Amino acid sequence: MSIIEVNHLTKYYGKSRGIVDVSFNVEEGEIFGFIGPNGAGKSTTIRLFLSLIFPTDGDAKVFGKDCIQFGPELRQEIGYLPSEVFYYEGMKVLDLLKYSASFFKKDCTKRLHDLAELMELDLNRRISDLSYGNRKKVGIVQGLLHQPKLIILDEPTAGLDPLMQHKFFNLIREENKRGATIFFSSHILGEVQRMCNRVAIIKEGSITEIKDMKTLQKDQYKKIRVTADGLDDDIFQVEGVSEIERENGTVSFFFKGDINTITGLVSKETLSDLTIEDLTLEEIFMHYYE
Amino acid sequence: MNIILRELRANLKSLLIWSGIVILFSLVGFSKFSAFYGNPELLSILDSMPAPVISTLNMNAFNLTTVTGFFGIMVMYFSLILAIAAVMWGSDTISKEERDRTVEFSLTLPVTRGRVVIAKTVAAAVNCIALLLVTWGITVVGAQNYQPDEQFYKFVSLTMLAFLFLQMIFLALGIFLGCALKRHKLAGSLAMGILLGTYFLSILSGLTKDLEFLKYFTPFKYFDAAFLLRESRLELLFILLSLGIVAVLLAAAYASYSKRDVYI
Repeated sequence: MSIIEVNHLTKYYGKSRGIVDVSFNVEEGEIFGFIGPNGAGKSTTIRLFLSLIFPTDGDAKVFGKDCIQFGPELRQEIGYLPSEVFYYEGMKVLDLLKYSASFFKKDCTKRLHDLAELMELDLNRRISDLSYGNRKKVGIVQGLLHQPKLIILDEPTAGLDPLMQHKFFNLIREENKRGATIFFSSHILGEVQRMCNRVAIIKEGSITEIKDMKTLQKDQYKKIRVTADGLDDDIFQVEGVSEIERENGTVSFFFKGDINTITGLVSKETLSDLTIEDLTLEEIFMHYYE
Repeated sequence: MNIILRELRANLKSLLIWSGIVILFSLVGFSKFSAFYGNPELLSILDSMPAPVISTLNMNAFNLTTVTGFFGIMVMYFSLILAIAAVMWGSDTISKEERDRTVEFSLTLPVTRGRVVIAKTVAAAVNCIALLLVTWGITVVGAQNYQPDEQFYKFVSLTMLAFLFLQMIFLALGIFLGCALKRHKLAGSLAMGILLGTYFLSILSGLTKDLEFLKYFTPFKYFDAAFLLRESRLELLFILLSLGIVAVLLAAAYASYSKRDVYI
């Protein structure tokens, strides 16, 4: 069964574009990545799922039901973590979480405390006293305390330190194993690559590609930088290399293909430095799609 | 119920501040009145003032040397304070969520927008009633030094009932603007603008007979203090008009908020 079905979903804010003719499905149990640069329409799509805004055309279904008509009923089983979390400033963390829990039909008390302990969240502080990262933790607990069947994450790791990011991703994987479907929007390709089974790429309001993660990784370019004395950049004129640049004895280029080709080439040189890294999403967009 | 309780707690500070304003205003008023009380010279001074001034200050119907007459003058100021508090609570209760961006939390909970509007309306109405009771209490307490008679108590009670209608109209107006306007910053200022506009209409309508028809367009004139004192009743026409306005505004608020995009 498809957990999310999006059919020709279109949203204009007056004359300005939100998203145009977006269609895709998210299957049960998937971790579905949704990537694109800022302003591509990621948050617009998510806000349409949550009926915070209303579509200009097309529709979206969650659990097989229209997400406008059945919004409140569907949200019993949706957990949402926005990119920036805003809560009532004057409230204590515990009061806010209890308030949130009071809207759900099931008893969330135990889960609330378990999650808070896991995320090392102090429940007795006021929201207004919390740092950005701690607010995010409140958001994580609030979004997950009712054990939702669908978890929607919108750039979830911003503001979390690496340790917390690690804990958070483990938590999401556990939720996924329990049977929850994850919709994961981000502009950080690395975390999407690690987490997701499938990924949709959105650019300027339209879906440019929906790919299996494995296929995308095979197609993935690497960014390689080689530093060595007397290095001749002509040796890199092989299949799969592009955009060779030379600067102060360092040669940098993009490479797509079998990585052993490159390691074979550089093994003959006396290197002082070598880096091989994944492209950031921005670089992919600039290099790959334009 | 959970939304109502949370709103009441969040609004408590504002209620205390407005109660403070009402109490301070009454104390200042009563201390001024102590100079007029039982002072016949004042009447002759008032008689020498031009008629439009007297009318604007709403002094033609009242004998300022009695506590009943004094309260009759105070009605104008109380009504302004109560109406401003009501319209601000109304517009703020909806628009603050967009201003503080908490709407992304509150409307992604499993609630209908209609339920949110109703709960917030109830909470703001409770606030209005609480402020009205404070006004009532301080008036009765302040009057104790000036031998209030039965007519005074009757007049005050009736006026409080009239205030309640006034508050509900402006509360509904505030809620409607908060719900209907996409630009949340506009809701508060537009609500205040309409309030002051209708207030000046109420002054205009008192100036000459030709402008009297304006009273249908300003809630401040629906229950005129002089009429309440003279007749000891509210006019049925204006009760129905008030209820109609409240019903239409709230229905429009409910309908528009259920269908519009929220901006974050």
